[in-house]
Amino acid sequence: MALLQMAAILFIANALTIGGGYAMVPILQQEFVNHYHWLSNKEFLDAIAIGQVTPGPLTVMNAFMGFKVGGLAGALVAMAASYLPCVIIVTLVTKYYLRYKEIWAVKAGFAAIKPAVVGLLLAVLIFLGHGSIINPLTAGIAAASFALLTFTKIDPSIIIITAGFLGAFLF
Amino acid sequence: MTAVLSLKKIFLAFLKIGTFSFGGVYSMVAFFERELVFKRKWISQEEFVESLAIGQMAPGPPIINTGISIGYKLHKLWGALAATVGQAFTGTVLAILLAAFYLHMQDNPLLQAVMKGVAAAVVGLLASFIYKMIIKLVTGYRSATLAMGAFLALAIFKLNPIGILLAAGALGLVLYRRD
Repeated sequence: MALLQMAAILFIANALTIGGGYAMVPILQQEFVNHYHWLSNKEFLDAIAIGQVTPGPLTVMNAFMGFKVGGLAGALVAMAASYLPCVIIVTLVTKYYLRYKEIWAVKAGFAAIKPAVVGLLLAVLIFLGHGSIINPLTAGIAAASFALLTFTKIDPSIIIITAGFLGAFLF
Repeated sequence: MTAVLSLKKIFLAFLKIGTFSFGGVYSMVAFFERELVFKRKWISQEEFVESLAIGQMAPGPPIINTGISIGYKLHKLWGALAATVGQAFTGTVLAILLAAFYLHMQDNPLLQAVMKGVAAAVVGLLASFIYKMIIKLVTGYRSATLAMGAFLALAIFKLNPIGILLAAGALGLVLYRRD
C-alpha cells in the first residue's frame, strides 16, 4: 500500500517538475517527510546529496528514498513512477511538436509555475536550514558551498564530497 | 538513418550517456550532441535542437526528456523507453547501493559526521540554486507576486505544494494570457 501511495506521489511530483529538477523538492519534502514520515528531514537532505553525487539528474534521489520506503522493489517502483510522466508527456510532445508549440495555455501555465517553484523552494530552504545549520561550522560550510556554486563553475558533486570530508574531520 | 535502430543499440548509447553525465547541463548537452549527432549520426543537428527544446518544454529533468524525445524519434515508444532506462540505469544502481550502505551504517559516528557536513553543503547548494532562479525568473511584478505568494502559502499557511503549483498554473492562464 505504501508503495502505491509513493508511486502516486512521485508521478504527480514529476509531472509538476517544471523549471528544473529541484522543482519536485517541495512536494517530496511535504509528502515523504511531513505527511507520511517515511524519511526524517535529515535523511531528506542526505537523499538530495545522493541525487547530486550520482550520475544523472536529481531524480535519482527518488531511488534512494524508494529504497528507504520499500527496499529494492521500492527503489525500482520509485524510478518507474518518476520517469513515467516524462515518457508519456515527452513522446506526445515529440509526436505533436508543431501543434504543441502553439498552445498558449501551456506557455502561460508554465510561466506562472516557474516563479511559484522559486517561492516554494525558498520556504523549504528555510525549513531544512533550521535542522542542519546548527553552529558556526555548519553555517560556514553552507556559506562556502553557496559562494562556490554561485560564483564559480565547480561541479556540485565535488563540493558535496569535500563537505563530507570536512565533516569527518571537524565533527 | 533510414534503417530502424535496434533497441539494444539505443539502450547502450544512452547507458553510456547516463553513466558519464557529470558536470551540469551544458557539458551534458555537448556530450549528447557528440555521441548522437557527430559520432553515431543517428539524428541531424536540427532534430537534436528540436529534441533539446522539447526537453525544456515538458515537465521533468530536461536532459532526460531530451533523451526520451530522441529515443522516440529513433524507435517510437520502445525507443523512448530504451533511452529512459539506459539513461537512468547507472545512477539508479548507485543510489540503491548507497541507500543500502547508508541505512546499514546510519548509526556509525563517522558517517554521521560526514553527513553533517554534507547536509550543510546541500543547504548552500539549494540556496545558490534558488538565487540563480530568482535572477532568471523573477523579472517583473507578476512573477514576483507569484513567487511571494507561493512562499507565503507554504511557509506561513502550510498549504499543500501540489495545490499551490496547480493554483499558480491556473492563475497563469489569466496573468499570462496575452503573452
